[in-house]
Amino acid sequence: MKRYDLIVVGAGPSGLSAAIEGAKRGLQVVVFDENEKPGGQLFKQIHKFFGSKEHKAKIRGFVIGEQLLKEASELGVKVVLNATVTGLYMDKELVVKIADTIYHYKGDAILIATGAAENMVTFEGWTLPGVIGAGAAQTMMNLHGVKPGNRILMLGSGNVGLVVSFQLLQCGCEVAALVDAAPRVGGYGVHAAKVARCGVPFYLSHTIVKAEGEECVTGVTIAEVDKKFQFIPGTEKHFDVDTICLAVGLSPMSQLLKIAGCEMEDNPKRGGQVPICNEYGETSIKGIFVAGDVSGVEEASSAMIEGRIAGIAAAQYLGYIGIEELEEKFEENKAALEGLRQGMFAPENRGKLIERTEEGIPVSMNLLTKGYIAEDEIERYPGVTHRAGIHPVMECSQNIPCNPCQDACPRHCIQIGSHITSLPVVDESAQCVGCGLCVAACSGQAIFLVQEDYEPGYGTVTIPYEFLPLPQKGEKGYGLDRSGQRVCEAQVMEVKTAKTFDHTNLLTIRVPVDMVGKARFYRKIF
Amino acid sequence: MQHINDRAIAPGTFIPEPDDDRIICRCEEVTKGEIRRAVHEGMYTITEIRRYLRTGMGLCQGQTCARLVKGIVAKELGISPAELIPATSRAPMRPVEMKVLAKEEGRHV
Amino acid sequence: MCNTAEVIIVGSGVIGCAAAYYLAKQGVSVLVLERDQSIGNGGSSRNGGGVRQSGRDPRELPLAMYAVEHMWPKLSEELEIDVEYHKQGNLRLGKTERHMEILQGLTERAAACGLDVHMIDGAEVRKINPYLSDEVIGASWCATDGHANPLLTTLGYYRKARALGVRFCTEEEVVAIQKIRGKARRIITAKAVYEGETIIVAAGYESRAIASTVGIDIPMRKELIEALVTEAEPKMFAQMLGTADADFYGHQTDHGSFVFGGASGMESVNKDNGNMAVSSITAPCICRGIMKYIPKLADAKIVRTWAGYEDLCIDGVPVISSVEEVPGLILACAFTGHGFGISPVVGKLLSQMALGEETFLDIREFRYDRFQAAI
Repeated sequence: MKRYDLIVVGAGPSGLSAAIEGAKRGLQVVVFDENEKPGGQLFKQIHKFFGSKEHKAKIRGFVIGEQLLKEASELGVKVVLNATVTGLYMDKELVVKIADTIYHYKGDAILIATGAAENMVTFEGWTLPGVIGAGAAQTMMNLHGVKPGNRILMLGSGNVGLVVSFQLLQCGCEVAALVDAAPRVGGYGVHAAKVARCGVPFYLSHTIVKAEGEECVTGVTIAEVDKKFQFIPGTEKHFDVDTICLAVGLSPMSQLLKIAGCEMEDNPKRGGQVPICNEYGETSIKGIFVAGDVSGVEEASSAMIEGRIAGIAAAQYLGYIGIEELEEKFEENKAALEGLRQGMFAPENRGKLIERTEEGIPVSMNLLTKGYIAEDEIERYPGVTHRAGIHPVMECSQNIPCNPCQDACPRHCIQIGSHITSLPVVDESAQCVGCGLCVAACSGQAIFLVQEDYEPGYGTVTIPYEFLPLPQKGEKGYGLDRSGQRVCEAQVMEVKTAKTFDHTNLLTIRVPVDMVGKARFYRKIF
Repeated sequence: MQHINDRAIAPGTFIPEPDDDRIICRCEEVTKGEIRRAVHEGMYTITEIRRYLRTGMGLCQGQTCARLVKGIVAKELGISPAELIPATSRAPMRPVEMKVLAKEEGRHV
Repeated sequence: MCNTAEVIIVGSGVIGCAAAYYLAKQGVSVLVLERDQSIGNGGSSRNGGGVRQSGRDPRELPLAMYAVEHMWPKLSEELEIDVEYHKQGNLRLGKTERHMEILQGLTERAAACGLDVHMIDGAEVRKINPYLSDEVIGASWCATDGHANPLLTTLGYYRKARALGVRFCTEEEVVAIQKIRGKARRIITAKAVYEGETIIVAAGYESRAIASTVGIDIPMRKELIEALVTEAEPKMFAQMLGTADADFYGHQTDHGSFVFGGASGMESVNKDNGNMAVSSITAPCICRGIMKYIPKLADAKIVRTWAGYEDLCIDGVPVISSVEEVPGLILACAFTGHGFGISPVVGKLLSQMALGEETFLDIREFRYDRFQAAI
């Protein structure tokens, strides 16, 4: 039977990372993926990643996917697509369906990196066509170029719900509302703020009562829920929508491991049924490893690190490297993983209400319930300052492990320091030149350049802008505030695009001087 | 788990709920009410529910409904969903035509 | 809750559940102990659902004929659950002259016992089932055979028995039976101790280890065999199918899916990882077998494969027997892969044996002490 040193199931971030690390150390590696395109979720992720350089911060997900694929192929890793692994049998035998034939392979080591599947919630009408998963919507938009609907309601305010809502807006859909039964936004505040300033209303402590329609979704009714998640009568709200998107979590796709006989556990913190494994991702069966969402739902950045660890561990298991190298590399990667798992969104803080930042600043309650920081809250944050001339305003209010802004500024105006979750601070002694690199570098699109003294009575605001068509210089429109309300007239003074901005365009609008602290988005007059 | 092992201990009487007609397993069109009633008829494990009603036995193999069914059964039994062992996973991971499964390469040991 | 009952049954398979039901119906207090977490998790939930008389050992035939004539037709009504019983015949197919000889022998032996079974040619076969390929040159045909849903039959007996007050305890692995004052009475599990006037061991292959704790050995072995199921297909045929070559057997269920069992030829040496693991080569082999007989199924999608243990008796028929040297002990095991079809009648016989009544069928052929050395 054809045998490989390492067979990887799943060509997503963790699988490819493992394959790369294995191949680097001399292993003969093959990766099977049932999809027609590699990259797993990475190729759907058009937003810029968070983290630091080692986490590939400020690089867009699909670009990271391309980088991983290129590296893997340069190292001789064979990536086989449209290849469905139908079973994992005894003696580490994999059965793979490719086209109309079943192939048998054995791996001396096997890495299962099959990721996760979307959860569903039920409500009246949930089986109607038009009720789709947020991941499915993302696949339609970003892999197949298909608009999922025209008017959409999103259920779920975690990062997936927020990021996909923004992508829906980018592809020209109208997002009628963002709804979550939880009392607070679950994902990053900066993701929420991006969506809110486009005018999407947030309904926290609300959930779907029913999807309406005969043949397909034509509308939806939501209502407020009490602390026990029971509907409060009289709070119903109706929206005419053609699509309902559900972003209510993921469950590990661990079936192959169960079939193989790996010991499993039901771990709600990891998203469901996961294999019991050691720190290197090795399961109860020697030589079968796991990495990424299949071993506990997290996100792509941590999946890549877990993949690297498992790939190196497989190399050690097969005698290609010594235990010393494994231990050394493990420590490095563990540090990187811990770097990601800190701050307000660290796994141990899941579900907790954090009232103050690490700096002791009260967290914006408006951000957690409406999706944007209120006027009277914004001045609390160290990134928000006033001064003469152009200068950055960083509306970054949560401790997230992320620091590209610090490196982006050639004049060192922005400081985070060695503690990666710290809120960015403006160095008053450094002089901003208005280059906008920080605006484009912020994965959360939370940095704006503000000039209060642009001309008498007017100031300018430079905003990150990722919508097409791009506004034209001189064009007139409206300034929208953080909640998406029109607050003033605005004129486009400049539209800057540059390769280094990586598709985040810088739009400079002129607004009345009393609006420079309010206007955070621009919309053309139609 | 002792109390789900002793099948003489009943989870109380079956009380109809307004959303009992809601489909939970889409592939096999099994409703919430059918699942709840099955618990009261003695089906205390996910495996028994599956064999009794066919939940999760359709084309998607429970990918969508497994979690939902678990939640309903656990609630009916008054236990945590984590206490219920999920149904066994079975090959093939995706449905495969007989003619494809029949056509093998490299199967010799 | 007290740990005593008049009758304790070890094993909640279809045999144990049926016996529990017929006993409870008589007002007997019954306790059923099951090693697994789920009821009927052994062969009862893994078999192909055949309710056949043809192809059986003549010793077993009277049980099968009784069940088909008197019990299966009324079982859905009795259990208040549709067990999906269909009495629409069994075709045992042959493709070669050698196959035809095998079928002829089986047919003659069964006919001699009074079963209405006869040989038919290829054209007659295709008149009964037009989906069968021209490779089929003949078959044995028993019009009164059929099939049922083993999952619903097992759980139907369980449900009904439970409703009548039978206490079922799962995850209770029996470690030993203890004799008290000369009588089998006490059952020790990993967690508790139970006592009963009569103990019925109906625990599949595990019955061997359990019986050995009171010094009884049943000459049987276990074999891991496999089955598969397709997605639902439009209704094609209602007969149970089998082959002279024993390469596959199966039927179309009410749901529309086809359930087929079969063999790779490696069964006697198949290994297991502790989870009744399927092997990578059996399902493809079963598919190749099926496609030769029913080409139309080539496009049907397989959705699941599974494995289960048969408890194979050295002489091919079960042990259904009181053990006089261990008073109070009744054995019902070693069904050799054909227990499901006779489960209602075995359940009823066991209830009579437990009550000390004379059984309505002669069961001497199934005694526990019938086994002898070759010379």
